[in-house]
Amino acid sequence: MKRLLAISLLFILMLTLGWQFWPEESTTATSYAGLGESSGDFRQARPGTVLSFPEDHGPHPDFRIEWWYLTGNLVAEDGRHFGVQWTLFRQAMAPSDPQQNGGETPWTSRQLWMAHAALSTPQDHRFSERFARGGVGQAGVKTEPFDAWIDNWSLRSVDDTAGFDRLMVTASGDDFGYRLTLDAQGPLVRHGQQGFSQKSADGQGSMYYSQPFFQVSGEVRVDGDPIAVTGRAWLDREWSSQLLGPTQSGWDWFSLHLDGGAKLMAFRLRGGNKNEEGSYLSGSWITPQGEIIPLKPDDLSLEPLEYQSVAGRDIPIHWRVQVPAYDLDVNVRARHPNQWMGTSFPYWEGMVDVSGSTAGEGYLEMTGYAGE
Amino acid sequence: MSATAPSVLRTTLATLLSHYRRHPGQLVMLLLGLWVASALWSGVQAINASARESYDRAEALFSADLDRITRRDGAALTLDDYLDLRRAGLPVSPIIEGELPLPNGKSDGERLTLIGIEPLTLPSGASLAQQDGDANALRDWLIPPYRMRVAPDTLEQVRTLNSLPPLEITPDLPPATLVTDIAAAARLLDMDRGITRLVIAPEHDVELPSAFVRTSPDALASPGQLADSFHLNLTAMGLLALVVGLFIVHAALGLALEQRLGLLRTLRALGVPARTLILALGLELLLMGSIGALLGIVSGVILAQLLLPDVAATLDSLYDTTVSDTLNLPWYYWLGGVAITLGGLFSAGASMLWRASRINVLGLGQAQAWRGRLRGQLRVQLLFGGVLLAGAGFLWWYLASTAGRQDLALGFTLVALLLLGAALCLPPLLAGLLGLLARYLPRRAALLQWGVADLQLQLPQLSLAMMALLLALSANLGVGSMVGGFRLTFLDWLDQRLLADLYVRPAAEQFEDLEAWLKERSEVATLLPARSTEAELIMNGKNAGPVALFGIAPKLILRDSWPLLDTQDGYGAAWRDLIAGAAFINEQLARRQGLAPGDRVQLQGPTGLVTLDIAAVYPDYGNPRGEITLPVARLAREFQAPSGTLGVVLAPTQDRERTLTRLQDALSARFRLADNDASLIDQQALKQLATEVFERTFTITRALNALTLGVAGLALLTTLLAQAEARRAQLAPLWAMGVSRGRLVRLQIGQLVMACLGTALLAIPLGLLLTGALVAVINVAAFGWRLPLHVFPAQIAMTVALAVVVAIVAALIPAWRLRRVPPRQLLQEFAAA
Repeated sequence: MKRLLAISLLFILMLTLGWQFWPEESTTATSYAGLGESSGDFRQARPGTVLSFPEDHGPHPDFRIEWWYLTGNLVAEDGRHFGVQWTLFRQAMAPSDPQQNGGETPWTSRQLWMAHAALSTPQDHRFSERFARGGVGQAGVKTEPFDAWIDNWSLRSVDDTAGFDRLMVTASGDDFGYRLTLDAQGPLVRHGQQGFSQKSADGQGSMYYSQPFFQVSGEVRVDGDPIAVTGRAWLDREWSSQLLGPTQSGWDWFSLHLDGGAKLMAFRLRGGNKNEEGSYLSGSWITPQGEIIPLKPDDLSLEPLEYQSVAGRDIPIHWRVQVPAYDLDVNVRARHPNQWMGTSFPYWEGMVDVSGSTAGEGYLEMTGYAGE
Repeated sequence: MSATAPSVLRTTLATLLSHYRRHPGQLVMLLLGLWVASALWSGVQAINASARESYDRAEALFSADLDRITRRDGAALTLDDYLDLRRAGLPVSPIIEGELPLPNGKSDGERLTLIGIEPLTLPSGASLAQQDGDANALRDWLIPPYRMRVAPDTLEQVRTLNSLPPLEITPDLPPATLVTDIAAAARLLDMDRGITRLVIAPEHDVELPSAFVRTSPDALASPGQLADSFHLNLTAMGLLALVVGLFIVHAALGLALEQRLGLLRTLRALGVPARTLILALGLELLLMGSIGALLGIVSGVILAQLLLPDVAATLDSLYDTTVSDTLNLPWYYWLGGVAITLGGLFSAGASMLWRASRINVLGLGQAQAWRGRLRGQLRVQLLFGGVLLAGAGFLWWYLASTAGRQDLALGFTLVALLLLGAALCLPPLLAGLLGLLARYLPRRAALLQWGVADLQLQLPQLSLAMMALLLALSANLGVGSMVGGFRLTFLDWLDQRLLADLYVRPAAEQFEDLEAWLKERSEVATLLPARSTEAELIMNGKNAGPVALFGIAPKLILRDSWPLLDTQDGYGAAWRDLIAGAAFINEQLARRQGLAPGDRVQLQGPTGLVTLDIAAVYPDYGNPRGEITLPVARLAREFQAPSGTLGVVLAPTQDRERTLTRLQDALSARFRLADNDASLIDQQALKQLATEVFERTFTITRALNALTLGVAGLALLTTLLAQAEARRAQLAPLWAMGVSRGRLVRLQIGQLVMACLGTALLAIPLGLLLTGALVAVINVAAFGWRLPLHVFPAQIAMTVALAVVVAIVAALIPAWRLRRVPPRQLLQEFAAA
């Protein structure tokens, strides 16, 4: 479900990029209206599609949007908590390639790439973003061996034989950087119906799978100082041509590593259904062995408990998450509120702490909260 | 009183204006004066304002504030360089730039600059990156059919091109510039994987791989200052025209007052308060001024439209700045035009108002008293003129004694002081000349005696027109000599510098093959390779900015013809020193940095600090930048200069043209060099190009100059016309005494020719001084080089002849009217006198 975030990111990016900073005021809920626009001749995500690897690790250029989305909860030797985010977005600006009527150049491409990288420290949050056009090779994704890159940021197989199980991720901004090795301790999991994840009551959705079992080790840099870290990471892959219903305005998305080895993915699309209160809820319960149980709207509850003003908006930084079937009733709290992504399309994304019926940690992403 | 004041004022004004109904000629003259004065001035200002607006737009363009990155070896950048740098984490952005020739441009070679940008990576500080956040703007920009931005004044030219992306109007783009996505630009310019340059935001302090060089925008040759001097030049010419025009206005107003003195007295005697009278006169001035300013500005704009294409071409070829060849006038231009015309009018009319305010109601005409006053007035003029000339002399001495940078504004002040001082001195000098003449004329030539005495009497009326003539003549002479001198020197210098018959600029990878191939050819006598690059100049341990480096092959044939201005131990020794490791510098660098042969400079090159002894200074006309010349091999070795041009000197042959064509064809066939692109240049073509640039540079100056002279002639004519009637009253007694009208006409023409001749004779030394100031002060300050002073006797003779012609033409109309006056009227006028 950051996925959602990403979607709108890309759409909004198109709307606004303005090539410069889009004023924050314009990211009000009304901006999201465009997310439900018709998907034209793009390919559509459909139930029954069979995922196959490694091909599906690579790009799906005929779908409008796609991302490679990594979040990690890390801890330093002295016990300090750090969070990292590495995201590569792809967006197709047109349903098909420009006419090959001669005269096309290496710069001609219908694909647009965008990437976000962030490092949350115990006190603050640092981030950076990159853009690239497709075609020239400044950004892209290859599958054998796996390599996703933009400029000098990359997420790729550590060697030719590692496939998707052992990856290396690097990124840097003006005041931060990281280089981490990811080691998968479990299988890939397919959300929804064998990878088709429904996103609204009327049936539209996306192709969605994850690798939530990464063991992480490596180094983060804060203002140039290296800090050795270890921890857990969660990689999401999602592609679609339309994700939001016409009235959906934003979302809250959770990826939680629970003590005992189970994982929970849960999201809420706000304002999606006919009644104003109704939001579309969905999720996946992932067992320590990597079995996945889809959660229907009635199987879970996500309830904001406490709001705090962040970057001029009221953001729920404390939640109650319940999945009665698995006796889960936990408080999910931001490690600190200031994990705002002040990128071209701004949103909140940061590390959270889990307590209650079970302990744990994870990542929370929240978009579409209107500013003042 | 207060209740009647408006009606009194109205009546007074109507009465005053009725004068012009009886003398429409004076009205025409007054308006004419105002018209020409403000027309020339506003024309020049329109050109300046329009150009300034173009510069502002160009400066606001992205490239002005971004650092640029190029390859050190001079090779063209490619997409792969861009990717290498991006993948290394450097936030560079590619730019493709090229020229689109217009299929049916107004003149040959008219073209538009096409810039392709990559909006996703272009640094956000760049103003080019700004765009309205319209819903699908970015998408439309990035994918076919793309979008193209263009300024409104370029729209018409763009429409002549086919297969362009849909246009978006962007007023703040520079003229003749198109901006589009890099993909569209690559297609239109056929660039494939090529990139013109990479840019990076100045604040990104990153380490570049050694194969690349980074240049900051302020290090790039700034056309601003040079273009400024060009505009200052124009402004000075416009000011001259304004002053000359105001002389006419002053003469016309003086005359109108003189003839209305009786009327004014009558009005005062009838009870019109002095303040109301002055107010009415002021209102009259304002009315005239507004009409004159309106006429002037309208025709000024028309004039500017006529001249602007030439100005734009000049600025383009000289300073590589693009100026729109359609006028874009900001609001303040119109306001400024009206203000300066009215200001000038009131300065010319102030004395009239002052005199009118002091009218003695009971006073009668006091023609004789004027004479006594005149002497005192002449003395004061001489004194003021002397002071101004002394100021000019001091300024000249000061400017000559300060080495290094000179101030252009001070140079123009010098010229202004010189001209004004001389103009003020003119009437006393003419009076003195006439006094001498009167003393030495034979006693028996009574008519001649009378003519000289009468001319002395006319001087107060004529002096302003004569001053205008003096200014115009000396400006004509001065500018003419300067342009002529420049042409001689420049063409001579071109001949010396362009001594190869053909210049070849091969691609870097072809260079050695091509050089070897040329060496083998029998028709080639010798090859003169040249390279250029740049380095940071270090003066007294401080970075003095970038300087151009030029590499030459110091072969005998080159040494024989390369002119040097100044050496330490003579011509031959300088060349030996150059080969032994010294350097030559151009005049511009020598003047700007105060360097002379024997001094030492340091350069920060890619291989470290290099210290150079200066062996000689050479002239480098037309080059805006400072330059250091070194042997080409050294430039390649120590400064990693990219392969440059090969000058091909042909062996002596019977038919140079045929040999040259054959060689060009062979080169084109063997190395695929086409002579229509920049890689193969015929020396003749190069010379022609340079000469064209030169001719364009002075088109404007000459046009304005001719106009100024025309205005001065007009001033003289209007002055004579205005007083023709009064003069007839003075001539009538002579006719009554038996002098035939034919003799009277000849006498009158003779008087005027004498006055003009005297003025022209004074204009000669003044013109020469002006030339001196232009070549030794203005040129040095404006362009960085000094010209030798050339005197052209034929031109001087022409100027004198021109003065005589102007005098005859101006005298002809009143004289012709005198001839046609019936004797009865002359009798009447005699009786009245």
